[in-house]
Amino acid sequence: MQQEVVLAMLAKEPSHGYQLRSRLQQALGPAGDAMNAGQIYVTLSRLEKGGLVSCEQTAGLPDRPDRKVYALTAAGQQRVSAWIADVSWPGPGLAEFHLKLITAAAGRLADPVAVVDAQRRELLRRLREAQRAAMAEPERSDAGLLLEGITLRLQADLRWLEACERNWTGRKDRE
Amino acid sequence: MGKLVLVTRLAARDLRHRPAQALLLLLAITTATAVLTLGLALHGVTSHPYQQTRAATNGPDAVAQVVVTHRAGQRPVPPAPVAKLMHAPGVSAASGPFLETTVYVHAHGVFAGAVVEGRDQAPSRVDRPKLTSGSWVRPGGVVVERTFAEALGVGPGDRITLGGRTFTVAGTAVTAASTPFPNMCETDCALGFSDAVLTSRNIGLIWATGPDLAAMHPAGPSTQAVYVVNLKLRDPARADAFAAAHSTTSDSDQVSTGSGPTVSGQGPPPVVVSVTGWPAYASAAAQLVVDEQQVLSPGAVLAALLAIASVAVLAGGRMAEQTRRTGLLKAVGATPRLVAAILLAEHVLLALLSAAAGLVIGWLAAPLITSPGAGLVGAPGAPSLTGSIVAEVVIVALLVALAATTVPAIRAAHTSTVRALSDAARPPRRRPRLIALSARLPVPLLLGLRLVARRPRRALLSVASVAITAAGVVAVLTFHATVTGVSITGQLGNPVLDRDEQMLTVLTVVLIALAGLNAVCSAWATVLDARTASALARALGATPRQVTAGIAAAQLIPALPGALLGIPLGLGLFAAADHGNKLTVPAAGWLALAVLGTLAVVALLASLPARIGARHPVAPVLQAETT
Amino acid sequence: MSETEQTPVLRARGLRKEYGSQGSLVRAVDGVDLDVAAGETVAVMGPSGCGKSTLLHLVSGLDRPSSGEIWLAGLRIDQLPERALARLRRDTVGFVFQAFHLMDELTAVENVELPALLAGRPARAARRRASELLDQVGLADRARFRPAALSGGQRQRVAVARALVSEPKLVLADEPTGNLDSEATLEVLRLFESLHAAGQTLVIVTHDSRIAATADRLIGMRDGVFVDETRLADGTTGSLGALAGLEG
Repeated sequence: MQQEVVLAMLAKEPSHGYQLRSRLQQALGPAGDAMNAGQIYVTLSRLEKGGLVSCEQTAGLPDRPDRKVYALTAAGQQRVSAWIADVSWPGPGLAEFHLKLITAAAGRLADPVAVVDAQRRELLRRLREAQRAAMAEPERSDAGLLLEGITLRLQADLRWLEACERNWTGRKDRE
Repeated sequence: MGKLVLVTRLAARDLRHRPAQALLLLLAITTATAVLTLGLALHGVTSHPYQQTRAATNGPDAVAQVVVTHRAGQRPVPPAPVAKLMHAPGVSAASGPFLETTVYVHAHGVFAGAVVEGRDQAPSRVDRPKLTSGSWVRPGGVVVERTFAEALGVGPGDRITLGGRTFTVAGTAVTAASTPFPNMCETDCALGFSDAVLTSRNIGLIWATGPDLAAMHPAGPSTQAVYVVNLKLRDPARADAFAAAHSTTSDSDQVSTGSGPTVSGQGPPPVVVSVTGWPAYASAAAQLVVDEQQVLSPGAVLAALLAIASVAVLAGGRMAEQTRRTGLLKAVGATPRLVAAILLAEHVLLALLSAAAGLVIGWLAAPLITSPGAGLVGAPGAPSLTGSIVAEVVIVALLVALAATTVPAIRAAHTSTVRALSDAARPPRRRPRLIALSARLPVPLLLGLRLVARRPRRALLSVASVAITAAGVVAVLTFHATVTGVSITGQLGNPVLDRDEQMLTVLTVVLIALAGLNAVCSAWATVLDARTASALARALGATPRQVTAGIAAAQLIPALPGALLGIPLGLGLFAAADHGNKLTVPAAGWLALAVLGTLAVVALLASLPARIGARHPVAPVLQAETT
Repeated sequence: MSETEQTPVLRARGLRKEYGSQGSLVRAVDGVDLDVAAGETVAVMGPSGCGKSTLLHLVSGLDRPSSGEIWLAGLRIDQLPERALARLRRDTVGFVFQAFHLMDELTAVENVELPALLAGRPARAARRRASELLDQVGLADRARFRPAALSGGQRQRVAVARALVSEPKLVLADEPTGNLDSEATLEVLRLFESLHAAGQTLVIVTHDSRIAATADRLIGMRDGVFVDETRLADGTTGSLGALAGLEG
């Protein structure tokens, strides 16, 4: 599980591991079925070692993982903010961006619509670049073919981003 | 049964949905049926008037005119053959002999000739002229034959000078014993005039008392007198045989002597008897109405043709919308037959309404135009609207509707449903030469020519309708030129000719109205059809005025050959109606005026719907194409 | 920079377009300000019904605004009579429609020369210019084909050539690839890029991000108003390789 996602989920409030897992499952739906139950604990312990989260043991109980309460450290906060603002496109993974929007809204880290807009602008710029490069290529070149693929995927992603914008704008209006 | 109700309901709804178009169709067909009704009603009138006059006036079966020669200065007396004739075998009743004289007539500054017949104030046994105004003869008062009175412009109370003496017109009357003015001399006029100033068409019949007659100065030879005897036969069917048997031929052994002193050394003065049977009067009278009929029939044909053209344009113009509706109907399961039935039902409904309206209008208008020959007791009031007339008019109305809508209906019904739903109206044909030519013309002609090229069939219809209208106008002009060229001295009017001209004018007005309707319909159809094209032209930079001018040009371009074609067509029409008599071609100036006038009217009428269409905002029309 | 260079080709202030009566008023365009400089390509994106097509019609003179001011090449056009607007449309502005709106019975070259003929240019000059333009858009060999014999992309290219025939200061395109498949869109894309490179001022209304990506400026529109603006000429943060799935 992407470290930044887990970090961002803790931005809302300190939580138990199982709480995080259930929120993830709710956010991902069927797409998250393949996720390993234990994965999240592995990520949490890595984050702890890195000093991005702190761990509190509820007093009096034996040292079992599901009794620990995790919380963000200052370093963790910074990392989350940087992640929210980052517009580099991850590639085929949609889940990360999807969770970015959800965690940003839940933890009041940023306006999800603004996040979508920023990402759209970046993708449009990339699209422009890829298109220009594609048209500069002679017809039927191999490079041109690859570039066309990039262009088409970017277009598809942009469509999804438009849908995200519509969706999140609607939620804002409803609240 | 349910299907019939469904069809009727859908048809009625469609008509209500587009009331303006339905109204135009109604007008077009109604005009045609009204004219047709008039024509048919008149036709019925032809066969009856003489008979009615004969019945009303106790008209004779045979009329004998006995010309007797006497010594100058002597008073004539009825010769022996008169009495012989009145008591001849086969004669059941007789009246007369009535002395007749020819005199010159002066009335209201008009100069003409008349045959004056001396009558008693008491009604005669045979031939009692029926008064149409005023009263019968009295001392100082004469009665003029009705059509003659119309031509002279006199009525009861007017002064009239006969043979140098002035009398008062006591009244006007009609009779079956003579042929009405101006054809009187076809059957009568045994005496001539001493000078050849007057032609036979300027002579009419007048009745006066005996003493008044004696006071008039005769215009004919002073040694001749005519006695008229009206006879009723036991067997009217043998009137012509009777007439032949008792008329004098050139054989001298038929000549009988008159009474009175003989001219010394030359034997008894000759008497010439000519008897005319009633069939001759009947046919002469009928001629008058036939003349009128000849004007009306081609007119009715023209009107019907124009109506068909209007209906075709309108029906064709609606076809685009019909196509989509048809597609919808078929998509929900209607068979092509049902679809065609609905399309036809609309027009049949309209046709029936038009037929009813046309019958009523024609029936009401008939008395205004019919007054058959005026010299006969025509059908008083309205001509009878027989069942056959009604049937014929209804059938014609239905045929007009069907003729114009069958082709589009069949086409609409057999278009594939998919094509119909996608509203692919007939795509315009491409005419490369016209397109190349139009590129060199100013913008309105460019637009107009291209619009015409898109719908050649409608252009042909325009040519036809303008030609028909121009033909009507040219026929009237030719009538004017031919007929007024014939009248001698130009002083005496000819009521029959006047009436012919009146009817021609009325017809032409009707034709022009129909053609105007046609022009508006055609222009409107063009505007609708060209809506996208003109919106696009405006989007590409044509001004509204250029677009309006373009649509007007699209109507004018076919109108020009149509108007020119109308000239020979009108001349031919007149020639056909006039039985190939020689005709005078109207002056070139008048013809040019007719052509230009037609074109001007077409342009004006076309620009009306065009202006309305050109003012609409462009964007919605173009958007509608995409959604 | 000289005066003329500074004057924007298109300037609109407070544009409004309303339909309907008191009871049900629809505000298609609700207070829009727009500036387009010479040589710029501006794209307006938004969901359907947001008013972007209406905006284009107002700016080109095909429709009249309910209120607001529009200047085209320094000339105030919102109060002009129809005749002057028509002249404007044939000299200053070229329009490309989503549905192409080519005349079916004319060949490609006859379609292209039409605005020039309407402007009163002599037939030969108009024909020559039309052929040149068809050559420019790469359809010289299809000049005598009728629209029915052309593919969607070719038809739209003919429409673009038609919009260019009078050397307009501004070309407006309303969803130019709306009726086109992916390959045809590429054709039109190339054409717009080449126009842009040649310095033509373009305003394109679209919901296709590929077309929008050719613009210098991208304006988002929703419910009759502009909601955001992006300058696409600025650089990007990532590499093409990353987009293709290459690491590092």
